[in-house]
Amino acid sequence: MFKLIRIISLFALLSAWICSAQAPLAEERILLTFVPNVQFAPFYVGIEKGFFAKAGFDVRLEHLQEPEVLDLVAVRQADFGVVSGEQVILARSRGRDVVYIFEWFQQYPVALVHSDALKLTDLEQLRGLKVGIPGRFGANYSGLTTLLSSAGLSESDIEVNEIGFNAAEVVCLGAVDAAMVYANNEPLQIRDRAAAGDCGDITDVEVITVASQVDLVSNGLIVSRSLLEAAPDSATAMALALKEALQFSINNPAAAYLASLRHVDTLPGDESLIAELEAVAERQAQFLAAKPDRAGVAESRAELLRQLAEQFDASVLTQFQVLLNTIELWDADQLGVSALASWEAMRDTLALMGFLGGELGDLSDAFSNEYVLGGSE
Amino acid sequence: MAKNESTRPDTARFIAHGTILRRLSPLATVLVLLLAWHWITDWRLVSRILIPPPAAVLEAFTQAMVDGTLARHTTTTLGEMMVGLLFGVSVGLAIGYAIAKAPLLEYILSPVIVGFQSTPIVAYAPLLIIIFGTGPSSKVVTTAVIVFFPTLVNTIVGIRGVSPRLRDLMRSLNAGRWQVLLKLELPSALPVLLAGLKTSTTLAVIGAVVGEFVGSGSGLGVLVISARSQYDTPLVYVTVLTMTAIALSLYSLVALVEWRVLDWQRRSA
Repeated sequence: MFKLIRIISLFALLSAWICSAQAPLAEERILLTFVPNVQFAPFYVGIEKGFFAKAGFDVRLEHLQEPEVLDLVAVRQADFGVVSGEQVILARSRGRDVVYIFEWFQQYPVALVHSDALKLTDLEQLRGLKVGIPGRFGANYSGLTTLLSSAGLSESDIEVNEIGFNAAEVVCLGAVDAAMVYANNEPLQIRDRAAAGDCGDITDVEVITVASQVDLVSNGLIVSRSLLEAAPDSATAMALALKEALQFSINNPAAAYLASLRHVDTLPGDESLIAELEAVAERQAQFLAAKPDRAGVAESRAELLRQLAEQFDASVLTQFQVLLNTIELWDADQLGVSALASWEAMRDTLALMGFLGGELGDLSDAFSNEYVLGGSE
Repeated sequence: MAKNESTRPDTARFIAHGTILRRLSPLATVLVLLLAWHWITDWRLVSRILIPPPAAVLEAFTQAMVDGTLARHTTTTLGEMMVGLLFGVSVGLAIGYAIAKAPLLEYILSPVIVGFQSTPIVAYAPLLIIIFGTGPSSKVVTTAVIVFFPTLVNTIVGIRGVSPRLRDLMRSLNAGRWQVLLKLELPSALPVLLAGLKTSTTLAVIGAVVGEFVGSGSGLGVLVISARSQYDTPLVYVTVLTMTAIALSLYSLVALVEWRVLDWQRRSA
């Protein structure tokens, strides 16, 4: 009898060991752009809250420039990358067979910022004004082209100044009348400076988002065509894991901020703020248990900021507010899904800019919603 | 004796061959690199997305030359470089000479100078754009800053290296300050100064392009970003090779000047 128990126990132990040995996490790099920042919170949440691990991935994040991200994914030196939709179109027109499988930003994040003293009521009033852009490349330039086009203007109607990524400083110095910026970040910085009396004559700014004029496809997850052919399940698993992490971040920004702390060195996080955010995250989790609708969750986020603002200086909460502003650009009824119309609008913008290098082919090959819908399309 | 005479033409031929070989060797290096590049892309050892074939780069070069893109951006960068080089080298020479003559100045200025030099220019180039504006002046400043230090150091070393015995001789001949500078210090320090200028000319390309990377409407730095953002890898290669060609040309020009100007030193040696 004892012998039988011993054999069964040994068998159970062996089975458990084999099972654990059979399912090691696959090491995966996700290539991101820019630098570690709270705007990448869903990826930090994916790691810290185990969404990627649950999908079978041990994720490592790396930051590069967009063209490098795209090329490394195209040649399969990395399986996953995050770039804007325009990069996908441009790269495909130059022979890179990459596919966009998850739309992370549902709204194009770029906007035109200007002093409220300028009193722009119509984009047509931009005629003759000095507008700052980082350079004639990337999302800011595409955004400006789209805005001008929507107002029936062209680049020759305004004075374009290449100012690098220094919009906040240059706008405050009054060197330009308006500048193309990321809507979730720079306007906040300029407002903070203005509030501190450190922005020349500017007391407040107005923002005109590109998304308010045209729906352009924005940042999302890309893979190579060869990965989709070789390991479609891997693409599905990653898209679904990112969707869960994104939904978690949208629903509970305090928890997302806390998850970001380990990844973003410069994120404010003293003991009192962390303690308060932990309490807030806990309360939010209880609130979410009642399954509120999307509008209810959005309202809870606004209320959350009001509560925190009563206890902390605005400067301490700037990055948290950046996160909340960014969440507005992510939130949608159906996360991860992109529409052909937004791709067509982006293609038309790039054609207007004269940036399309060669034959683009069928635009519907550039993206697929199949993976985020779990293969149900 | 007869044997000696018969070997003399052989030796001369050997030396002549050696000289020709030496002169041809850089060309051979370039040829070998081109062949290696061609084979790497032809055998697809690396994806053509990352390394395009030489033929594609040549085609992009021809296109950029024909439509004037390359000339326009090269002219901008060259202009910024030359003004920055002139400015940085002049200031480096002046301050270097002053420090060489008054060591106290070295103690006063060295924290600022070494501090500037030890900080990577890419770190503070965005600040220069904000301070000096988005036009060419900020690129002139980045170039001047980057070429300043080698000029300064070589000027100090060159002037301090002038033989004290020759200084004494000039003094005994009642030579004035300008005479000492023009007839002793400058000729003595010239080899070191020209070595500094060679370093500065190659760095000048970096200075201008870093400034253009941070924010500019024209220049080779802008062309690299623009080509990269449009996934036009052959054009990126064309631009990078143009930068290399500019640096090499300027370096060769200074080397030629050095060879001509220091001819008297070689003869006396």
